[in-house]
Amino acid sequence: MNETDRSFNSATYALSHIRHDLFRSITTVVTISLTIAFILLTTSLLFGLVNEISETDEKASILDGMIPGSVSMFEEFRIDGSQLSKESKASLVNYLLVTSVLVIMVAFFIMFNTMSISVQERRGEIGVLRSVGFSSREVMKIFLTEGGVIGMISFLSALFLGTPFIVNLAAYLIERGDGGIFFVQPMIPLQLVAIIGALTMLLTVFTTYLAAKKTLRVRPVEMLRPTR
Amino acid sequence: MPDRPFIETIDVVKTYKVGSSMVTALDHFSIGIEEGEMVAIMGPSGSGKTSLLNMIGGLDRPDSGAVRVKEVEINRLGEEQRARFRKNNIGFIFQFFNLIPSLTAIENVLVPVMFERETPVKRAGELLERVGLGDRFDHLPGMLSGGERQRVAIARALINDPMLILADEPTGNIDSETAREIVSLFRELNDEGKTLILATHDRIVAGRAKVMIKIRDGRMVRGKAHSRDGMRSLSPDKGGGVPE
Ligand SMILES: Nc1ncnc2c1ncn2[C@@H]1O[C@H](COP(=O)(O)OP(=O)(O)OP(=O)(O)O)[C@@H](O)[C@H]1O
Ligand SMILES: [Mg+2]
Repeated sequence: MNETDRSFNSATYALSHIRHDLFRSITTVVTISLTIAFILLTTSLLFGLVNEISETDEKASILDGMIPGSVSMFEEFRIDGSQLSKESKASLVNYLLVTSVLVIMVAFFIMFNTMSISVQERRGEIGVLRSVGFSSREVMKIFLTEGGVIGMISFLSALFLGTPFIVNLAAYLIERGDGGIFFVQPMIPLQLVAIIGALTMLLTVFTTYLAAKKTLRVRPVEMLRPTR
Repeated sequence: MPDRPFIETIDVVKTYKVGSSMVTALDHFSIGIEEGEMVAIMGPSGSGKTSLLNMIGGLDRPDSGAVRVKEVEINRLGEEQRARFRKNNIGFIFQFFNLIPSLTAIENVLVPVMFERETPVKRAGELLERVGLGDRFDHLPGMLSGGERQRVAIARALINDPMLILADEPTGNIDSETAREIVSLFRELNDEGKTLILATHDRIVAGRAKVMIKIRDGRMVRGKAHSRDGMRSLSPDKGGGVPE
C-alpha cells in the first residue's frame, strides 16, 4: 500500500459507506430521483407554457405523425396555442405553479423519510463516533457530506434518465375550463436545470440535517447499547 | 489538593428508569485509581461495570456525586465538552468491537483523527503493525476474525495516545487463546505507563491486572474503597482488598 497518497476525510467516509451499503444507496437514489423527475416534469411544463406558447401546435402535428389519430381524437376540442386568451394562459400557469409547489412539498417529505431511515439505521455508528470524541458538528458534517453526494447522484440520474421521457415521449394535454384542449411542449432550459440542481441539493442536505439532528439528540450511551 | 488520585469517583449514584420503577446501577460508588494502574473490574451481569466505565469515560453522567479524571471534574462538563475530553484523553474498547463496517482496518484506526489537519496515516500503520495486523490494512471488518477486529479497535483507541484506556469486556467475544494475546497487549501498554481499566467476566483476564475490584449491585464488595477526603481505606467487608 502507498501510505503517502492515502487520504481519509468525510468524502472518503461517505463514498465508502455508499459503496458498502450499495443496495440501500441505490434504493435511496431511485426514490429521490423519482421525486426529482416529478419536479422536473411539472416545472418543465411550466417553462414550456410560459415561453413557447405559440409553437405548441407544431408539437401537436409531430405527435399526430408519430401516433396517427392521437391528436385528431381531440380535434374538435383543440385550440391553437396562439388563440389562447391571456386569462386562460394565466390560469394554466397558476395551475402548474400550484402543482409544482405541491410536488416539491411531497418530495420534501419523501426525502426526509428516506434520510431518516438511513440515519436511524446508523445510530450505533453515531454512538461509536461520539465515543471516540466527535462533536455533534463533526458527526453532522459526515452525514451532510453523504446526503450531498446522494443528492448529486440522484439529480444527475433524474436529469439524464428522466429528461428524454419528459421531453420526447410525452405530449401534454391540458384541459381548459371550457372543455378546450391545448398542447404544451415541455422545456428544460439550462436555467431550469440549474434551479432544480440547486433545489435538489438544498432539499437533500436540509432533510439530512433534520434527520441527523433528531438522532443526535439521543445520548451517546443509548446509541452504544447493543440493539434491542 | 496535591494528593488526589488520578481518577476518582466520589459517591456516584446512577439510576435508570425502567418503566415505572428505578434501577440503581451505581449506589454511592467511590473509587480512586492511580496513574499507571491496571485495574480489573469484576462482578455479575447487571452489577454496574459498564455504568462505571461510562461514568469514568464521560459517556454518561451520574445523578449525583463527582467523577474526576486528571483533575477535570467531568460530571460538570456538557455533552460536547465531554466528547472533546474523550478525544484527547480516553481510548474506548468495547465487547462488540464497534468498528465502522464500511471502512478498512486502517481507516477505522484513523476515524478519531479524521478531522485533524494532517491525517497521521503513518502512525495508524505503525499501530496496526504493533497489534499484529501489518498485512491487514485494507481489510474490511467483515473479513477479519473477532480477535483481529478487537486488535483494530485497540489500534483505534491508541491513535490519539490517550493516557487512559477503558475496555468493557474486551475479550467477551473472543476465544481464550486470542484473549490471552489481547491481555498481553494490555499489559504491554500498561508497562508503557498507560492507565487501564477493564471490566471483565474472565478470571484469567482479571488475574493479569494489578488491581482487582469486585462490584455487586452497584457497590464495591472487594477492592479499595475511596473516601471523600481522598484518604484510602480498606475494603468494607473483607478487610483488605488488593489481591497479589
Ligand atoms: N440504559 C439503561 N436503561 C435501563 N437500565 C439500564 C440501562 N443501562 C444499564 N441499566 C441497568 O443498570 C444495571 C447495571 O447495568 P450495567 O450495564 O452497568 O451492568 P454490567 O455490570 O455492565 O452488566 P453486564 O456484565 O451484563 O454487562 C443493570 O440492572 C441494567 O439493567
Ligand atoms: Mg456491561
